[in-house]
Amino acid sequence: MIDEVRSWLLARNDGVTDIGLDEDLIDSRLIDSLGFPEFLLFLEELAGRELDLGQESVVAFRTLRGIRDRVLAGAGR
Amino acid sequence: MTATDSIAETLDHLVADATDHHYSPYTRFDWVDELADEQWWMSPDLLSVAGTALGERLGTERLMALSKWECVNFFSLNIHGIRELLMEVTRRIHTPGFEVPSEFFHRFLGEENGHMWFFAQFCLRYAGKIYPDRTLRIGDDSQDPQVASFLVFARILIFEEIVDHFNIRMGRDETLHPLMVDINRAHHDDEWRHIVMGRKLVEHLYRPLVERGDAELLDRLDTYLRRYMTGSIQSLYNPAAYRDAGLADPYGLRNEVLADPARVARHEAFLKRITRFLLSSKIITRPPFATEQPREST
Repeated sequence: MIDEVRSWLLARNDGVTDIGLDEDLIDSRLIDSLGFPEFLLFLEELAGRELDLGQESVVAFRTLRGIRDRVLAGAGR
Repeated sequence: MTATDSIAETLDHLVADATDHHYSPYTRFDWVDELADEQWWMSPDLLSVAGTALGERLGTERLMALSKWECVNFFSLNIHGIRELLMEVTRRIHTPGFEVPSEFFHRFLGEENGHMWFFAQFCLRYAGKIYPDRTLRIGDDSQDPQVASFLVFARILIFEEIVDHFNIRMGRDETLHPLMVDINRAHHDDEWRHIVMGRKLVEHLYRPLVERGDAELLDRLDTYLRRYMTGSIQSLYNPAAYRDAGLADPYGLRNEVLADPARVARHEAFLKRITRFLLSSKIITRPPFATEQPREST
């Protein structure tokens, strides 16, 4: 499932060919404020649930590892 | 007359008009005890499924249910948009560079606070909730104060112009409950002043950025604002509203209606006024949904 997230990000960032599991998605500008709402909805669709934007969960959105282990944990399709 | 004199004169008129039409939002509306689900809460042609194949498949009962939750989504977006503008304008009122509009900012802040109250009142009374804010400010605001201020007022203007399109339509729609007509009309009656001010300010704040002669900066602002316009339109398609209306597969449904060719003309209509303004001011180089073209040198 994390490969789908990686593909979604790559499709929206010209010139980027790979994203490491621990790469900071915000610092590297793979995600910015304007792109975040659509990214959130995409993750919700994968997770199968509405995601809470509390401060703690925001940290989980910063890397693919955080998304895999915390945001999408338990999600199965 | 200098540009600043022209702005001051316009703002004087707007302050006088705001004073003449001042009202208390807390006593302005006749809040009914309840609103039946089986009615249009939003003009059907403004629904996110209007004109789509899916919209054709849904019966009137389902569309009415969707109109309730898309009305709540629309008002929720207003609440979150107003929160941002209250914070950003409050940061700037009576600070250097904003001496001229500060008197109007007092009216603006007062009116926006009232709008936020009546939108929230509606959502909480008749739906029991406000949809959460799905935006996140993650450190991409400019560190350059001139750029930051320009973007703040450009975002406010875009937001208000889109909302006003909906308010004008619903403020005249006699098929809606009188309370919904009244809320939309009241909002429009104040917003036109904010839009007039916004256009003046955005042009005023853009001018010094053009004078820098930095084409890369102008490209970046152009791209940013077109993305902001696109994102604002996408926020009208809320899976939570589809779910609350009892529609299956809300995320798949959202993808389907967003991709429906029939929506293109609707998006253009929602953005028509602000697109025309930003194009004529040479702030953006093409409509937000147009394909990439290089910026001509300025």
